[in-house]
Amino acid sequence: MSKFEIPKNFDYKNVNILKQFITETGKIIPARVTGISASNQRKLTRYIKIARFLALIPYTDMHK
Amino acid sequence: MKKYEAVIILNPNLSSKVDTFKKDFEDLLKQNSFSINKTEDIGRRQLSYSINNHNKGHYIIFSIEGNPVNLINIENKIKYNDSIIRHLFISVKNHQGEDSQLMIDSKNKKDDSEAEPPVIKDKEKDVLSNNKQNVTDVTNSDNESTVELKQKSEENHENE
Repeated sequence: MSKFEIPKNFDYKNVNILKQFITETGKIIPARVTGISASNQRKLTRYIKIARFLALIPYTDMHK
Repeated sequence: MKKYEAVIILNPNLSSKVDTFKKDFEDLLKQNSFSINKTEDIGRRQLSYSINNHNKGHYIIFSIEGNPVNLINIENKIKYNDSIIRHLFISVKNHQGEDSQLMIDSKNKKDDSEAEPPVIKDKEKDVLSNNKQNVTDVTNSDNESTVELKQKSEENHENE
């Protein structure tokens, strides 16, 4: 699964990396699908939730 | 002493007053014995969803260090500031010396707009007013991976 490589250091500001791991509807894609490590998935989840709060990525596609 | 990153989204209509806000905020930090390592003025950015009927926001990121007890005082002051539409303090292990990805993206955007001749800029304004189109363009390019993902997940279901 070379497609879902993530760099060693990333955070909520790397919006383009985070966007790879959410669906069109804004859900977080499970690690069993992307194949990334559990620790990376935990980081990713945390950062996605921060980025959502800061309106960098959407919660859902139903925002008007 | 703890290290923090303060992300502040300002009202886009007050973009011209950003410098005064920055000074005020820095004074507030100094009053509470916080030290500022770095300020990143990312500028106006499209919000993914509207906050208080604003579709754009002026992002500023401060790398600060100080006593957690005093953070409450700062937050209390910020909470009732009408020009701030959203704020967040995140504790971090280390401050990054380099520019963040958001800063790099905004710089690249500025370079693009400066490189183009001024005649097109008027057209750009029209495009900017229809910002939703821009957003869909950006997401489309990213969606390719998610589409493939969906296919893969469907395959997985079949295997099961």
